[in-house]
Amino acid sequence: MLSRIAWRNILRNKRRSFILMTSIVVGVLALLLTEGFAIGLMQQMLTNQVGADAGYIQIHKAGYQADPILELSMKKPTEIEEILSKDSSVLNYSERLEVFGLVSSPYNSYGVSIDGIIPNEEQRITTISRYVVKGSYLSGEPGQILISSAMAEKLKVGIGDKVVIMASQTDGSVGSEACRISGLFETFDSGFDQSHVYVPIVTVSQMLNASGLLSKFVINPKSPSQLASVETRLRNEIQDLPHGGRNYEVLTYKEMLPLLVAMIEMYKQALYLIALIISFALIFGIVDTMLMSVMERTHEFGVSMAIGMSNRSIFLMVMTEAFYLAVIGTIVGLALSYIIISPLSRSGWDLSAFSASLTSLGAGSTIYPVLETSSVIQTVSIIPAATLLGAIYPALKAIRLQPVEAIRAT
Amino acid sequence: MDTEKSSSNIVRVEGVRKVYHDNGVPVDALRGINLTVSPGDFSVIAGPSGSGKTTLLNIVGTLDKPTEGKVFLDGEDIASKTRRQLADIRLRKIGFVFQAYNLNPVLSALENVEFTMMLRGVEAAERKRKGLALLEELGIGELAHKRPNEMSGGQQQRVAIARAISNDPRLVLADEPTANLDSETAVRLLELMERLNHHDGITFVFSSHDPQVIGRAHRLLILKDGQIATDKIVQ
Repeated sequence: MLSRIAWRNILRNKRRSFILMTSIVVGVLALLLTEGFAIGLMQQMLTNQVGADAGYIQIHKAGYQADPILELSMKKPTEIEEILSKDSSVLNYSERLEVFGLVSSPYNSYGVSIDGIIPNEEQRITTISRYVVKGSYLSGEPGQILISSAMAEKLKVGIGDKVVIMASQTDGSVGSEACRISGLFETFDSGFDQSHVYVPIVTVSQMLNASGLLSKFVINPKSPSQLASVETRLRNEIQDLPHGGRNYEVLTYKEMLPLLVAMIEMYKQALYLIALIISFALIFGIVDTMLMSVMERTHEFGVSMAIGMSNRSIFLMVMTEAFYLAVIGTIVGLALSYIIISPLSRSGWDLSAFSASLTSLGAGSTIYPVLETSSVIQTVSIIPAATLLGAIYPALKAIRLQPVEAIRAT
Repeated sequence: MDTEKSSSNIVRVEGVRKVYHDNGVPVDALRGINLTVSPGDFSVIAGPSGSGKTTLLNIVGTLDKPTEGKVFLDGEDIASKTRRQLADIRLRKIGFVFQAYNLNPVLSALENVEFTMMLRGVEAAERKRKGLALLEELGIGELAHKRPNEMSGGQQQRVAIARAISNDPRLVLADEPTANLDSETAVRLLELMERLNHHDGITFVFSSHDPQVIGRAHRLLILKDGQIATDKIVQ
């Protein structure tokens, strides 16, 4: 019966209940939309970086990650290829030979990472081929080069033009190769675009006079969820190779992109802070409105006390009102969040106006918000809890009323 | 001897004083009241406005505490009781009828009557059965599912009486119960309460200055300036 009274009290002042419920709905929306966009942004930053270049796992010669020099390249290790080709959880892998060098045109020269790739294998591992905006991706023929539009502009070259790549060989002499531009790419990250060029691995090998050398294996597991198990298995199997443990390092993107991982962690912490701020704002809103509701019913509470209603029952009744509002507000908020986020998660939200900052973050100019189960669970825990917390003070106010004075109140 | 005397009385008030502070100025609302109420009484506390009728009723009803003196309910000194115990005493032993009816506006007539039984832990089916029976007995059975705003003042006061007696209290305290009613309705309501007193043995204590109420009193106490000026049995 207490719950029935609580419910009717909510219906009694529809406008106030609506305002109160709206603040709960707004709280839910604020929390879920913030989380949805932030998580979407973080996932995009991660998948872009991992997908375009790093891959999920890499195998290098030990020490290469800290000091990526040609001297720390691997003599094509067939035993590692065997391990990778036998592992059923490995979706694809690719070999690269990378070196820091120069790309030059008759007008300009720039320092870049010259990434020697096996074009058709790379296509199965990374997404660089999808970012070609002009010309075509590498066919695999020696002497081709893929550079970014930004770099082409700086070098004042175009499709079909020749540029020269050059880098130091292991003996200290400088090797160079003339390459014809087959295509121009534009990724989500302007910094990345200006620091990478792609050529067939054979071209880099020729330039460096380093046939059979590899900088890295880039590996993708069948599913990102298998990352940890694949990494552990590869590490163990490579360690079991003769001198394997000392010769190689197996790294996940978390170790290869520490800045990005730290940034994502920082975003997550910021989300907790935002949730806290939203909860506090909600608590104060609830205290204010519920207090008004309690004070308006002072006379009624006095009569209820007079006829024998205990403090416990009065407290429970006020809290039940808050509970109903919290439940309804949260459900409505969840539904609205779904209605807003669901289509945006497919079409994305074009934030071209902020594209410069988003591109420098490596997220792209369109954000695809994500409604994660963990966000929903967090919201359905935090918002009703904040509502009930906010109702405690008004409920205590109600039970502290003196019956005689309360009955006199009009 | 004292214990026997206490147990035979529902209410015993001994030397009760009540001092209010009005803007810091002490005002004596009650000045040394001694009073007993016995089972089956149909007593009226009369007196002009400000004589202390409602204050006395509030103290007897455990809604207020005396500044001095003692109040015994069924022989128990209420001074030592906690808020929770006092609420329980009011729930089980006292029924209240107010001048302004004071029904819960979100509950129907039946639910208002059931409410006090619910607080006492009576089962839902029993609450409904007894609530309907009480409303029938008071002649408003057909209004069981009406809300207070759909009823007249007299009808609301009948519901209030049904609510007051629903937990079979030892005592019903009625503060100016006819003040908001027309005289015809007031008479019918008083007849009803007399019937409940006569047939069911319910003890009533009224505060009123309505001659119709005073005229039906079996015992009349007249308060003047916070003191009992007259205490007489009316035949």
